[in-house]
Amino acid sequence: MKFRYLPVAGLAFGILVIGSASQAMADIPGTDGCAASGVWVEDGLIVVAETDNGVFTIPRSDTVNWEGSVAGPPGEYSGSVWVELPPPFGEVEVDSWSGDSETTSNSGSHEYDLPSLVPAGVEIVVSGEHNDENGSCSGKATLEIDGGPFDSPVTLISLGGTAVTGLGVALTLRPLFRRVL
Amino acid sequence: MSYGRIVASAVLGMFLLFFVAADLVLFGILPLNSVVVTILPLAGLVLGAVLGVMARKRQSASQPAAQANAQPVG
Repeated sequence: MKFRYLPVAGLAFGILVIGSASQAMADIPGTDGCAASGVWVEDGLIVVAETDNGVFTIPRSDTVNWEGSVAGPPGEYSGSVWVELPPPFGEVEVDSWSGDSETTSNSGSHEYDLPSLVPAGVEIVVSGEHNDENGSCSGKATLEIDGGPFDSPVTLISLGGTAVTGLGVALTLRPLFRRVL
Repeated sequence: MSYGRIVASAVLGMFLLFFVAADLVLFGILPLNSVVVTILPLAGLVLGAVLGVMARKRQSASQPAAQANAQPVG
């Protein structure tokens, strides 16, 4: 059974993975006993599966050793992980999986290196679900990349856009700022 | 009747508040999936149009006064 939760940035894994180093592995809410955990090798961050448990700051690049399991042989299974966007844009699927297996657990290692265009310090909600013949489970995690707003050139572009369009608005609305004689 | 100023201020207002929303997200004030990110550009569109109408009225009101001041005497 594949648990490929970690495609882009360890974000994918982070979906079902939240917690602290001192916690034992916890089940993800659902009906088929899903559990997942991960260790950020260089950063030392250890997370276990829970839902809505604060914001996790992850490094821009690292390697994540991950584990995932279900309580019983899953049979036919499917699932996906996605990033939630502001409405009405919905979501962007980061990864999905499906197949037929009797294996109840899987583990692996995923190395990621996010480009500088991905802004740091922005809260990104990553959600996911897994369905198999025993039931389903789902979870979400709020992640942000370690760093400041100016780590990404997108911030300067956005500030420039604000200044240019602000100037445009001011010029267009010039008559509002003049006295009527 | 020219609507150019109204359209321009509406479109610019939408982009202005879109960039403001992006700034708020990038500085960590709003989460990426916040509904405010969607509402702000729409509010900019409406607000820009309203202010455009007001600017157009203000301009039309000032033009007769300016023309009257420019009339030759005598």
